[in-house]
Amino acid sequence: MTDTFTRRELVERAALGGVVLSLPGILAACGGSEESSGGGGEKKLAKTLDVSNWQLYIDYDEKTKKYPSLEEFRRKTGVKVDYVEDITDNAIEFGKIQRPLSQGNSIGRDIIVLTDNTRFPGLLISKGWAEKLDKDAIPNIDNLQDALAHPGFDKNREYSLPWQSYLTGIATNTKLTGGKPVTSMEALLEDPKYKGKVTLLTEMADTIALVMQANGDDPTKVDDASFDKAIKRIKKAKDSGQIRQFTGNEYTGPLAKGDLACCLSWSGDVVQLTVSNKDLVWNLPDSGGDIATDNMLIPTGGDVFTASTFMNFVYDPKIAAQISVGCSYISPVKGIKDEAAKIDPKSVENPLIFPDEETLSNVVIFDAEAARNQDYIEKWQALLA
Amino acid sequence: MAFLHRHRWLTPYLLLAPGLAWLAVFFAIPLGFLAYQSLQEGTFEFGYSFGWAWGNYWDAIDLYHKQLVRSFVYAGLATVIALVVSYPLVYWIAFRGGRWKNLFLLAIVAPFFVTYLIRTLAWQTILADHGVVLDVMRTIGLVGDDFRFLQTSTAVVAGITYNFFPFMALPLYVSLEQIDHRLIEAAQDLYASRLQAFLRVTLPLSLPGIFAGTLLTFIPAAGDFINAQLLGSPDQRMIGNVIQSKFLELIDYPAAAALSFVLTAAILAAVAVYARALGTEKLTG
Amino acid sequence: MSVAVETLGGGRPGALTRLIRFARHHVLTVYALLAFAYLLVPIAIVVLFSFNDPKSRFNYVWEGFTLDNWRHWDAYPGLTDAMKISLEVAAISSAVATALGTLIALALVRYGFRGRGATNLFIFLPMSTPEIVLGASLLALFLNLQFATGFLTIVIAHIMFNVSYVVVTVKARLVGFDRHLEEAAMDLGANEWTTFRKVTLPLIAPGILAAALLAFALSVDDFVITFFNSGSTTTFPIFVWTAAARGAPPQVNVMGTMIFVVALSLMAVNILLQRRREGRTP
Repeated sequence: MTDTFTRRELVERAALGGVVLSLPGILAACGGSEESSGGGGEKKLAKTLDVSNWQLYIDYDEKTKKYPSLEEFRRKTGVKVDYVEDITDNAIEFGKIQRPLSQGNSIGRDIIVLTDNTRFPGLLISKGWAEKLDKDAIPNIDNLQDALAHPGFDKNREYSLPWQSYLTGIATNTKLTGGKPVTSMEALLEDPKYKGKVTLLTEMADTIALVMQANGDDPTKVDDASFDKAIKRIKKAKDSGQIRQFTGNEYTGPLAKGDLACCLSWSGDVVQLTVSNKDLVWNLPDSGGDIATDNMLIPTGGDVFTASTFMNFVYDPKIAAQISVGCSYISPVKGIKDEAAKIDPKSVENPLIFPDEETLSNVVIFDAEAARNQDYIEKWQALLA
Repeated sequence: MAFLHRHRWLTPYLLLAPGLAWLAVFFAIPLGFLAYQSLQEGTFEFGYSFGWAWGNYWDAIDLYHKQLVRSFVYAGLATVIALVVSYPLVYWIAFRGGRWKNLFLLAIVAPFFVTYLIRTLAWQTILADHGVVLDVMRTIGLVGDDFRFLQTSTAVVAGITYNFFPFMALPLYVSLEQIDHRLIEAAQDLYASRLQAFLRVTLPLSLPGIFAGTLLTFIPAAGDFINAQLLGSPDQRMIGNVIQSKFLELIDYPAAAALSFVLTAAILAAVAVYARALGTEKLTG
Repeated sequence: MSVAVETLGGGRPGALTRLIRFARHHVLTVYALLAFAYLLVPIAIVVLFSFNDPKSRFNYVWEGFTLDNWRHWDAYPGLTDAMKISLEVAAISSAVATALGTLIALALVRYGFRGRGATNLFIFLPMSTPEIVLGASLLALFLNLQFATGFLTIVIAHIMFNVSYVVVTVKARLVGFDRHLEEAAMDLGANEWTTFRKVTLPLIAPGILAAALLAFALSVDDFVITFFNSGSTTTFPIFVWTAAARGAPPQVNVMGTMIFVVALSLMAVNILLQRRREGRTP
């Protein structure tokens, strides 16, 4: 599909002649920091694409130790993807990249992935550190699910496109819990059997949402009272030694090693971790979990055309299905059930990849305003300290 | 050469100039920038502005004195343990090492050649909940089933001690190695027992080494955050972790900068007291 | 005391006495052995796990012996590049820092001059400032000067913190240095420069070498200050830090072992050469 697209683009360019070619250049000169394709020149694909992403978030072949979809991208376009799983936490990632970005320097990445239930995608855009997508290179953008088409932080999807969506729930190492999965937040936070063998996530939205639901509050409408109540409950668990650590994506290590009885975890991770530890299971808490979406953004200095081409590639239903089934997360691309069935017929029934009504009714999206609230953020940081 | 000979007084200044200039530009001036930052107010989203915000310092002490004290305790423990463990070892090398002295010294420094982080991760493996050490201890019955080393103060202090061991051992060795053996022989000729000779001759002569070693160990240990991060739980968070998270995660530069100066001041105060106790010539000698 | 027992009793001392004497004489040696074990066991673990064959991405549990990690030591280009950069930074920064620091040490120990006490204090300050403060303040400098952080800023930072350590190490050696040797040389007709070259320098060379090696080791090892000032350049420790969170591949252990072995061999060779030059070490 990408082949026909590129050919179409070439034909278009030839038809419209040089005017179109120089338009981006003029716009770049007027518009400031847009470094789309070096103003006025032909759009060329770079030799490599540098992508930073979270752990266990793409299809991976254990035997060849390679990423099949990225290999396919290389076969189709000749672009080698330098894929690094170095994002563990939104705040840490943002803190790392804002330093060079604030100086106007590139961070050596073409695509980074940030979560929409934090303030960071919006912050990146509002500070002017995200490049505009080259939508001409992403006709597959029409495949984006309607529900994700107009998020608050990027109303017209000018700067970002979803990568995968995830659910936050509880991962259990059944070997340490007598064979039973842990299904209640109460057990996680207060059961002395698991003292010192529990971790929570450093992501405020994910952890607070689950604790608030366990308190009977509604995370879609956070107020001071319900926020403080959640904080208090977590603090109590922390002070009593129940909580071993607050982690970002790096809970995967201790979980696989068998240090943890149960922990808050992101839906698809456990599936890939069962290679390391067969006793791991994942489920939503009885009181409910949360759902959020990770977004691809192009930081300043990233190669917009190549990045956009890549985004278009992963929005192809066949590739989207391959990735989603491969990492057991929820694809933002609509209409991929048939492709998924071809890869693995059982995947269509898998609520982690295609959440059913029941699952969806059991998860919420964290209040976006609360995610940006400076006061809440400080209280949360104080809790982690 | 003749010029230098005539203007002999210039020599020390010429020797000092390049190094001091480097430190002035890349140590002193940046601290100035940091100080400026510490008096700013505002947030990352809406920008910072200079406002003589002395409140940042008060907040720093008020909110994080627990972590500050904890850092000093951990660093102090690690320093003392490192001193006690390394002294006999270094003594043995200096006095009994013979021809192979330098090779033994090498063995002490060798761990240093494996990256700090990898060394700490190795301790993660050694002290793992289901690693060899704990399995053996559980089998013997030394500890209960729920016992763990990782994510406790013990692990953090052990990690700090191990990681800063060469900082203690090397200065100690340098000063022990320089002790003239004849002095000890002389003491023994004067009827001092081995122990007395050690206490009255060797130990005092090794004080410069002890002083240097304890400082080189305590100071970086107090500001460390890696051991606490990898081997500790939230209850072991040190002031270094707080500063790091304020700089890199909350992006709260004024608070982080103020906290940094509070830590530095506290360390300098502790060192000044220590130096006074031992005798100030050691500091400037 | 045991001497008295011996002479009083006459003849050969009893087995117990001999055992006690043997133990007392060697207790320090036994202790030294144990201490060495303590120091080297974690290193052994690192080396051991470089031969591990983990099925998953985590290299925590021993699963099987393999030479694959060593055969494909460069399987992770990011890792190899990071290693290269670390070594380059260390070479440059330790050389410069040793030069700067040795000059300062010479000035401080051998000359009385105005501001000597203040200079001593000033040199001491970087060591009494936590790394995190050094790193953050340097970053503040570079940000304000709009100076892009990267390889050069890392080198600058490393030279900065190494100078003080070099000064302290060389000074410790210089302070115990016997000036009489120099005086003797000069009495015999050598001028200052020749004396320095032929008498002083060779005698303090071990101290300078020790300082240089310390600086090199500190540089390769540095994480905190580098972390703040590296921009998008990745040094080896930074690679390990980010890799540790997502499961460091055994190749990290391979690299760690390689540095260790190379450094160890270099130093060992240097020591052996030195011994041959000096004859019997005093």
